[in-house]
Amino acid sequence: MRRLIPFIAAALLAAACTGSTIRMEELPDIYPDYIGVTIPAGIAPMDFNIPEEYDRVFVRVTGSKGGELKVRGKWASFPVKKWHKLTRQNAGGTLSFTVLGRKDGVWTQWRDFIMYVSDVPLTDYGLTYRKMAPGYTTYSQIGIYQRDLHSFREDPIILSTLTPGQCMGCHTANATDPRQFLFHLRGPHGATCFQKDGVREWVTTKTDSTIGNVAYCYWHPEGRWMAGSINPVRQSFWTGDQRIIEVFDLASDLVVMDTEDHSLIVDPRFTTKDYLETSPAFTPDGKTLYFCKAKAFEVPRQVDSIRYDLVRASFDAAAGVLGDIETVIPASAQGKSISFPRPSYDGRWLMYNKADFSVFPIDHKEADLWLMDLESGESRPIDEVNSPYSESFHNWSSNSRWFLFSSRRGDGLYVQVYLSSIDENGHCTKPFVLPQKNPRKYYHDTLYSFNVPDFTKEKVEFRTSGTHREVFSDQRIKATVKE
Amino acid sequence: MDKQYRIVFSALLGAAVFAFWMWLFPQALNYQEQNQLFLFTWDYFRQRMALPGGLADWLSEGLVQFYYIRWAGALVLALLAVLLQLATWKAAGEKRSMYAFSFIPPLLMLVYMGDVEVLASYPVALLMAVSLCPLFQKAGWHRLWMIPLGWWLLGPVMAVPVLLSVLKSRKWADLAMLAWMAVTFYAEYRLLAAQYPFRDALFGLNYYRLVESLPPLQVIIPAVTVLCILLCALPQRLNRPLAVEGALCLLLAAGTWFGVKRTYEKDTYEVLAYDWLIRHEQYQKVLYRAERYQPRNPVSACSVNFCLFTQGQLESRLTEFYQCGTGGLVLPAIRDNLSDITSAELLWMMGMPNITLQYSFDLQESIQNGRKSGRFLSRMAECNIVNGWYPRAHKYLDMLEHSLFYRRWAREKKALLKDEALVAKDPVYGYIRSVRFKDDFITSYDGLDLMMAVLYNQNNNNFMAAEYYKAWQRLKQMEGGK
Repeated sequence: MRRLIPFIAAALLAAACTGSTIRMEELPDIYPDYIGVTIPAGIAPMDFNIPEEYDRVFVRVTGSKGGELKVRGKWASFPVKKWHKLTRQNAGGTLSFTVLGRKDGVWTQWRDFIMYVSDVPLTDYGLTYRKMAPGYTTYSQIGIYQRDLHSFREDPIILSTLTPGQCMGCHTANATDPRQFLFHLRGPHGATCFQKDGVREWVTTKTDSTIGNVAYCYWHPEGRWMAGSINPVRQSFWTGDQRIIEVFDLASDLVVMDTEDHSLIVDPRFTTKDYLETSPAFTPDGKTLYFCKAKAFEVPRQVDSIRYDLVRASFDAAAGVLGDIETVIPASAQGKSISFPRPSYDGRWLMYNKADFSVFPIDHKEADLWLMDLESGESRPIDEVNSPYSESFHNWSSNSRWFLFSSRRGDGLYVQVYLSSIDENGHCTKPFVLPQKNPRKYYHDTLYSFNVPDFTKEKVEFRTSGTHREVFSDQRIKATVKE
Repeated sequence: MDKQYRIVFSALLGAAVFAFWMWLFPQALNYQEQNQLFLFTWDYFRQRMALPGGLADWLSEGLVQFYYIRWAGALVLALLAVLLQLATWKAAGEKRSMYAFSFIPPLLMLVYMGDVEVLASYPVALLMAVSLCPLFQKAGWHRLWMIPLGWWLLGPVMAVPVLLSVLKSRKWADLAMLAWMAVTFYAEYRLLAAQYPFRDALFGLNYYRLVESLPPLQVIIPAVTVLCILLCALPQRLNRPLAVEGALCLLLAAGTWFGVKRTYEKDTYEVLAYDWLIRHEQYQKVLYRAERYQPRNPVSACSVNFCLFTQGQLESRLTEFYQCGTGGLVLPAIRDNLSDITSAELLWMMGMPNITLQYSFDLQESIQNGRKSGRFLSRMAECNIVNGWYPRAHKYLDMLEHSLFYRRWAREKKALLKDEALVAKDPVYGYIRSVRFKDDFITSYDGLDLMMAVLYNQNNNNFMAAEYYKAWQRLKQMEGGK
């Protein structure tokens, strides 16, 4: 009799699935929208939810190159190991998803959908990002975190609870390599923390010749230099119901820092009063520095007149000398503003943001991602990934075949991280939001935005012990100006 | 002391503490309640338990949510005081005699709680730690696992049963427990609280709202509690114990009154009272209090001016009360969890939902221990509703739906969101939409009077904007006159 039980159960299940199943021609309304996205093999399971009125979901995933996975539950939750096996087996192929949802005891089956598994691997360990409540001027808890892209594991690198009263700035690694990174603390005990090969130092980057501490930074690929813009940032708020906040710089200069002797190259051509220079980024050969430059206007009154061009200057790493400034895209002449230029690490592309004005696209619904072919110099909006909401900060994976970006498309306020791939011809794939276990609950419940996301090749090692003492001791290395 | 006298004294303590919070300082209950949001969710429980002292923290927040109802809050605190007193007495063991000493910990706690940043998790944790003492002393080798478990659940007040045990037994083996306690504490610090400063973890992560602060009483009270337990256990050698203990109780009552006078800072509590009364729309009572005594600070001026407006007296009685220029009419953005509440309220009524949203967000994010607030979150949801930003409003309403006292309100608002026509018809949201700015421009605190003028010119029914504009000009003139 015992031997018959599985057969009886299977027969009953089959009867249940065929007899009372409603078949729909539409695709399932899943959250997040993973239909037709391209994923790397070995990524964290792409868990998803079906509409809340369905109390149970059944999903069968079939690989075009073999393999199958079946799950059932309140949401589609795939076991990590089996998911990895399936995606690796189907690299370069597709995964077909059959989705059934149960409502009031009746099962509904929607049209199957496909997910593409890229044959280009995403070799990086994961992501780093800052999590903070989005909106205004005060933040009770901020933290820099790292997330394993191959599982759901998230670990804090440093949280503001360890350094109370200090705001925590952007975490910047050298081309995704966490052996060399920096982040800023702002507040009474502010400093920039440089960590190279496990050795960290706390540096005050403000000098008598500069207008403040560096904010937006970018490492030179050789690791000795770091370009940074100095931005006394302010915020103002809108009265209407279309946007909330406007972030702008009172002034903005650009310097290059020698991280070996902590001296700054302060070139008067890059620190003009009448112009704002910001968002520096070196090309992977280290010979060119891209940044954004705009004519200064009175703020906040004329904030909507500030429009940044994409410019570049040569850089001689041996001598530490910047060359002449050359305009690459005169966006201001087109009534647009460019921010966050990011060359791919293979030197093929340059991705940037374009908005109507300002340098802080996160609060601009019209802000989109654009891609410039560094060989032809041609640019285009990346329509494959853009949305009616703001697309803002972005970065490349270490092999330059994947990129991530921040977007407010979820609910218009809380920033989420999206990933997409790019082929040799610059075609990008439909992006997908960073996978989470029970994603609807995760993204709906969180009161944090994901800021300044980046890939990290390996896990970031940061010692928390001693950090509090080091920060509050105020013992700092003071940057000097290079003669 | 006989049992019936003991019952009478304990009941007196309970009644006194209840009366203290119910009638003397109910505004403190309001302040505590609005600086946290207890949610009936597994995630919320898990977050609290992730840190040492988590269980006490979770339980206390569960209790503090009842402060939403004044008498319930007073009752909770009265019960906590009585239970702490009884636990102290019980911890003294079978041969106890001096009942009066068991009153010292709850009374000292009452004095300490005059500091509004003291969190309820502190008395809750202490109560649990003291209650654990009898069991702990008999636990033998089980104490080895009770120490790390206790530290995880209650926090550093777990040192109370350990110290008591050591002091009572005076054995070398018990002294080794102190070393074991240090080892387990450090291990738990590295495991659970490595993202906190060592000192904060050592003295309690969730006993006090302000970060990097250690009020001396936070260390003194557990030490005194241990001492009181030992004193309760002293052998009875008095001829007239009841008289002596009665006199001791009177002395304690006098000492408590003196302590309360010192720690319950008058201006702070007055401002908290204004906030509490405004929350409950008892504007006349604010004016009544201000006529007797008004703190000389902008927050108080702003609250009183707002209440004057609600009574139609802003123009006629403006100069009767303390003023500090236009900054006392509407406050600029201030990074704390109290100052801007009234400003946010009045700007909401005037038709500036975006500044209200900014102020409410900043008020919530200024709660230094990172907790959320039912009151501020509700207002944020409402601002989002007025702006038509429904997914964000939904996020906040769903969160509030997991609370006890905001649940019904959140459900009502969620039902509203299903139909845009209902939102437009809603008397509050419809009105604010009708009086808000028609144009989108960048706000400026310095130009707030001009913004009020714009509001009035857009809609002449917005008499609040007109009243405040006139008051602003008058205060500006008075400032110029100085």
